[in-house]
Amino acid sequence: MVARNRDMPTIVALLTAWVLSAGVASAATVEEIALMNRADRQKILVEGAKKEGKVSWYTTLIVDQVVRPVKEAFEKEYPFIQMEYFRGNSERIVQKMLAEYQAKRYDVDIIDGTVSPTMVRRTGYLQRYYSPMLAEYPAELKDPQGFWGTTNLYFFATGYNTRMVKPTEVPKTYEDLLHPRWKGQMMWSTSCGSGAPIFVGTILNTMGAEAGKAYLQKLKAQNIAKSTASNRQVLDLTIAGEYPLALQMFNHHAFISKSAGAPVDWQPHEPVTATIHTVALAKNSPHPHAAMLLLDFVMSEKGQRVYQQANYLPSHPKVPAKQADLKPGPRFKRVYYINPDAQYDKGNEWVDYFNNVFLK
Amino acid sequence: MAVSGVAKQPSSESFDLTLKGDRALARYSLGVASKFDVPTVVMLCVSVITGYLVLPPLYSVVQTSLFTTKLTGEIDQFTLRYYEDLFRELQVLGPFLNTFYFSVGSAVFATLLGGSIAWIVVRTDSPLRGLGYFTAFASFGTPFILYTIGWLLLLGRAGPVNYWLKIWFDQAGPVINVYSMFGMILIESLLWSPFVFLMLAAAFRSMDPSLEEASAACGARVWQTMRRISLRLMLPAFFSVMLLIFIRTFESFEIPALVGLPGDIRVLTTSIYLDAQKLPPRYGSAGAFSVLLMVVVAATLYFYFRMTREGDRYQTVTGKGYRPTVIRLGRWRYLAGAGLVTYSVVLLVLPFLIILWASVLPFYMQPGIEGLTKLTLKNYVAALHFPKVTDAIKNSVLLGLGSASFVMALTLLASWLLVRTKIRGRWLLDLMTTLPLLFPGIVMGLAILRFYLFVPIPVYGTLWILLIAFVTRYIPYGIRYTHSGLLQLHKELEEASYVAGASWFSSMRRIILPLMTPSFLGGWIFIFLLSAKELSMSVLLVSPQTPVVSVAIFELWENAQVGELAAFGVIWTVILVTVAIVYYAFARRYGIQQN
Repeated sequence: MVARNRDMPTIVALLTAWVLSAGVASAATVEEIALMNRADRQKILVEGAKKEGKVSWYTTLIVDQVVRPVKEAFEKEYPFIQMEYFRGNSERIVQKMLAEYQAKRYDVDIIDGTVSPTMVRRTGYLQRYYSPMLAEYPAELKDPQGFWGTTNLYFFATGYNTRMVKPTEVPKTYEDLLHPRWKGQMMWSTSCGSGAPIFVGTILNTMGAEAGKAYLQKLKAQNIAKSTASNRQVLDLTIAGEYPLALQMFNHHAFISKSAGAPVDWQPHEPVTATIHTVALAKNSPHPHAAMLLLDFVMSEKGQRVYQQANYLPSHPKVPAKQADLKPGPRFKRVYYINPDAQYDKGNEWVDYFNNVFLK
Repeated sequence: MAVSGVAKQPSSESFDLTLKGDRALARYSLGVASKFDVPTVVMLCVSVITGYLVLPPLYSVVQTSLFTTKLTGEIDQFTLRYYEDLFRELQVLGPFLNTFYFSVGSAVFATLLGGSIAWIVVRTDSPLRGLGYFTAFASFGTPFILYTIGWLLLLGRAGPVNYWLKIWFDQAGPVINVYSMFGMILIESLLWSPFVFLMLAAAFRSMDPSLEEASAACGARVWQTMRRISLRLMLPAFFSVMLLIFIRTFESFEIPALVGLPGDIRVLTTSIYLDAQKLPPRYGSAGAFSVLLMVVVAATLYFYFRMTREGDRYQTVTGKGYRPTVIRLGRWRYLAGAGLVTYSVVLLVLPFLIILWASVLPFYMQPGIEGLTKLTLKNYVAALHFPKVTDAIKNSVLLGLGSASFVMALTLLASWLLVRTKIRGRWLLDLMTTLPLLFPGIVMGLAILRFYLFVPIPVYGTLWILLIAFVTRYIPYGIRYTHSGLLQLHKELEEASYVAGASWFSSMRRIILPLMTPSFLGGWIFIFLLSAKELSMSVLLVSPQTPVVSVAIFELWENAQVGELAAFGVIWTVILVTVAIVYYAFARRYGIQQN
């Protein structure tokens, strides 16, 4: 470097500015920002986010349906932040994040999914956070230690083809599924996050181990067709008339198809299985201020309405679903919420049980 | 591993070995006087490039199969558990036998089907021969998932085929059960038959007519000539094709999962998948499975190599006018033409129509009057609004061009080494170029992801990392095309060129490349289409800035309704078919595709 004397003042000034700005930025760690709980929190977050300018979200949500509307609404609220996203299924986004962390490449701020945040949490790469919004949610919809909040819920029901099954004949309870009439007439997905293993888990946990196992043995005799296709595809096969009943379907999928005129409807069996879409902060979030603003936003009533308009089922107790009966209410009351930690710890047992009983 | 050793030191081996056995090719000049002879230099370059591409994922696959991983994905402890699990699985006869029947059935049926069509198109005077190429390209362009869905909708319990058969046979229940071994083999073979067609068409075109003429002169009938001369000459090509399909089917997952599993037919891959579907995800069993396959394939290749060692027997393109004669079928030509039409209808038209049908409906209905009243374009609107759809299409096309060109160039050189030189240990190069076929896509994707996160080459998150992955993945296909093409090329053509004073480079450019054009271009277009569909690695390697089409289709498959998936698929198929037609027209115009 050859610096002429007349350049020196500029260089010094630049260096000073750089040292100062670095000093300001490093004054607060990701942890401090995430757990900040003081009156001027919002002001500090906004100021920090203005410097960061962007936020990066690894998501399992569907871009076209909900991520883009959320991005638009969030960027309208905070025009100085640009939201970037990478979409993949739980396994992929976790693999991507873990591989990056091992290479000390910290790109991601926020990660979501039904089990992906828990998978990351077990590796120690999540940061606990505080959001004023969390106070508005019931205990089963937030992590007691503050590792995750939630944005939306999934409720499972039996989907049926209304041309092949009359409403009066539809199996109403889990026991009804054992009727000989349904032998060879049902299909479900083997997906460990949303298919048959979750069904197995609900039965074992709500009926008790003994009664649950007895029930599943009887259900095995019904010869349910299995597919590795997603729940959505299995429901589409039911709409096409391949199988009259599709077990363990998302109720909003059936509703969306029904609205389009498809011969399909959903029937809940109580207790209804529900999974929770959680959202979490990465340990070394490169844009912690903006990330906290985004977390606040997606859990706020305003953000939750974006989910609602996208036909997702908002977690916020005060925000109903666009089609109200998709959330607990008159159509079904008893719900079994599968806690993501329980799903992580017990999920493998459910998969094994499903493999041993239904695949042999 | 032995393989890595060779990749690092091929030169020292070939220095002392300077082609003792092959006097005719003993000295080439590079134009620059040097003590390195051409085969050594080529071997060095090809081995280094291939090794660089293949060895890191190979290492990773082996490592995955032998170590447990921590939650973070780091390597933890040595274990043989995955192999024990695998052997336990192998002892369960059911899945193992199913896998065997499935792979043999598919390999045989696909080869028969694609081979017959190739023969009709290339060697006979049947009408409508262009249809063969069009069908092969177009059906190969159809995204894989879509194609399978199309077949399930066609042959399903409530599908139109069963509907008509029920009326025809006056049955109450479905007549065909597609969720069966029959269904699996049928769909898998149909899926692979264009590949067979493209590869064997190239081989048929480079057949020495003199042997057939001799046979005919001796009074043999067409059928006898075919059986005793033509088919035997084609042996290496047939073997290559069948081996490839056998391996791919053996390790394939999608068809067994979507078609077999609902009918309770389990193969090894579905068993492994269902057992490994855990949190956190474990790839040990998948790794062990592919290591086992590698051992089997290495053995097979070794024998294959011994078999084609006397490659002279298969050299059919000689200095004498080698364009094969067209067999006149007489009245039979109409039957052959009808065969082509049937093939085209079954392979392409039916599945495409049902997908087209699904794409214009608000929800899926069986074909009928009722659906006609509900036609809509909203799925197309949704598909075109898919995020970054134009970027995805652009990236996929770029990747296709790049990987096809690079793979074919690299494998042409590799094949030349394998076929023309006698460098010892070159079967290891053959093995190395075949191995990527056996890597499970997801393990390979992870390996490449990790490798470029650690190695300071800034390709992570760019299109380059996808290109590297694709090139590695498709080397085996390139090598099969160029290898069987080169086997047929008599070496005296090349020798004549050297004798006339041409350098190695100009012999390559002016003799080999032009004569190899059919298999070179066949392989090129094949890899182009294949890379447009690649999914298992792409899902991990794409970044927000580098979307590709296959991943977009996968997202639709996982999350959207059949209609939107179908609409997107139709658009993409039309684009690929356009590329194929442009290519075909171009190839014809320059006289390199057709007689």
